[in-house]
Amino acid sequence: MTAARAFAVVGLVAFALVVLVPFWWIANMSFKTYEQVQFATSIYVPRPFTWANYTALWLDTRFPLWLRNSLVTAVAVTALTTVMASLGGYAIARLRFPGRGFVASLILVLYLVPPALLFIPLYRVLAELGATNTLASLILSYPTFTVPFCTWLLIGFFKALPHELEEAALVDGAGRTAALVRVLLPLAAPGIVASAIFAFTLSWNEFLYALVFIQDETALTVPVGLNLLIYGDVFSWGQLMAASVITTVPVVALYVFIQRWMVEGLAAGSVKG
Amino acid sequence: MRPARARDSGTALLFLSPLFVLVVGLIVYPFCRAIWLSFTDKLVGYPERFVGLRNYLYLLHDDGFHAVVRNSLVFTVASVGLKVLTGLAMALVLNVTWRWRNFFRGLFLLPWITSTVIIALTWRWMFDSFPGRGFFNSVLMDLGLLRSPMAVMATAGGAMFAVVVANWWRGFPFFGVSYLAAMQSIPLELYEAASIDGASMWRRFWHVTLPGVKHVVIVTVLLSFIWTINDFNIVYVMTRGGPGTATQVFATYSYEVAFNQLRWARGVTVSIFLVPLLVAGIALLSRYLLRQENA
Repeated sequence: MTAARAFAVVGLVAFALVVLVPFWWIANMSFKTYEQVQFATSIYVPRPFTWANYTALWLDTRFPLWLRNSLVTAVAVTALTTVMASLGGYAIARLRFPGRGFVASLILVLYLVPPALLFIPLYRVLAELGATNTLASLILSYPTFTVPFCTWLLIGFFKALPHELEEAALVDGAGRTAALVRVLLPLAAPGIVASAIFAFTLSWNEFLYALVFIQDETALTVPVGLNLLIYGDVFSWGQLMAASVITTVPVVALYVFIQRWMVEGLAAGSVKG
Repeated sequence: MRPARARDSGTALLFLSPLFVLVVGLIVYPFCRAIWLSFTDKLVGYPERFVGLRNYLYLLHDDGFHAVVRNSLVFTVASVGLKVLTGLAMALVLNVTWRWRNFFRGLFLLPWITSTVIIALTWRWMFDSFPGRGFFNSVLMDLGLLRSPMAVMATAGGAMFAVVVANWWRGFPFFGVSYLAAMQSIPLELYEAASIDGASMWRRFWHVTLPGVKHVVIVTVLLSFIWTINDFNIVYVMTRGGPGTATQVFATYSYEVAFNQLRWARGVTVSIFLVPLLVAGIALLSRYLLRQENA
């Protein structure tokens, strides 16, 4: 018992350090002045502490605009994904129709198709639709990975709900849609919220499609904007750190809020132990 | 029963139709276009002409592409291997944690939800050769363990090491959480029986824990292999494939050829070389995932 506890303590400390040190290093640098970094004067904590990088980022760069673009894209993608994945997940988990097994396998296969395979032809398709260089190109293309993933998660959720409730509603004369909306949807709410958060996070963090489909600096999302900051101005590293902190905080906040659902969703949907 | 089932099919068709439109229009159709493009000589601004297997033959004899295949394999095998080992360690630690287990599980998952671009940036700075910026150089020099800064990212081996570390750091929490779930579903009686038989901690791990998580290990390895061999973000942001071609992998090379050299057809062909491998990986994975789905 004591050996196990010692192992646990050493292990927890080691993993906490591995996870937290890089986060701390970035946050730490974001609060330092240029001189502090340049002359390596205060390595471990920012002394004196400054918000200068944050104000410069907010006022001197297009970061607020990129943040807005990321938010608009993520919200639109999340809404689209939630509707499509809930309907699809419900149909595959609960309705009996010919080819159901095939559709279920197809969803899994699509979830595994990497974006690296599709970005060049998708660029051509979106260019022909006249959607490149606008957020529409992202709102159209992100569901190609969020929808298969969220549908796959929700199939698991819908399958786990008791059949009797739905049958009772059907016997009472409710139609399929009413049974879905009034009986199953409230029960599946945790799963749907978890899948919506996944869709939001995937969209918020996406880089490759945004890099390829958008050249106009006013239509960039945060990840591509950050990438521009790195290779743009040599002196803007402090702002880059500040931007990293600002971008990470909302996702972490969302995640802390629904951590339990998210981990369970992960365990239920993608890798059932 | 029959009318209900007929109604089921109608509803299913209705509910699945948005998904079908998305899948056909933005996944299947572009994929077919990709296959077609790989048989042409498409350059940006010129109409394409059918050239048969020329792109494939070109790449098969291209030293740059050979380096890409080598780098991708090193990057993928090293990252996935490290993720399995660290993931197992993380799960073992959390499995014997007697308090606040959910808190630590959540804490350790943080890298997995962070944007890969930010992770790539972070590790670029961690390994930076400039003492005030690079974590390792700052700390090692401050502790007197290093006299002059190391330029890790400037060497071929160092750059590969750095991208592997960044990819590993992002990925191991997912492995750990999956293995933990599997470990917690192993019946305690098995451990008790093993203890009664006088099995040591190591033997219990080898004969009870490991068989209990084997299935999940296979699934995570296959999943992560597919994602890692197609990774773009970490390599592109950290090294742009450099120095030279030392960290150029499939996705970054495909981007480089298509969008910097403007050879779209050849760029597409680079990623199509991965399709057979992906098909094999996906087929294996579907078997594992769908089997437990039906069980």
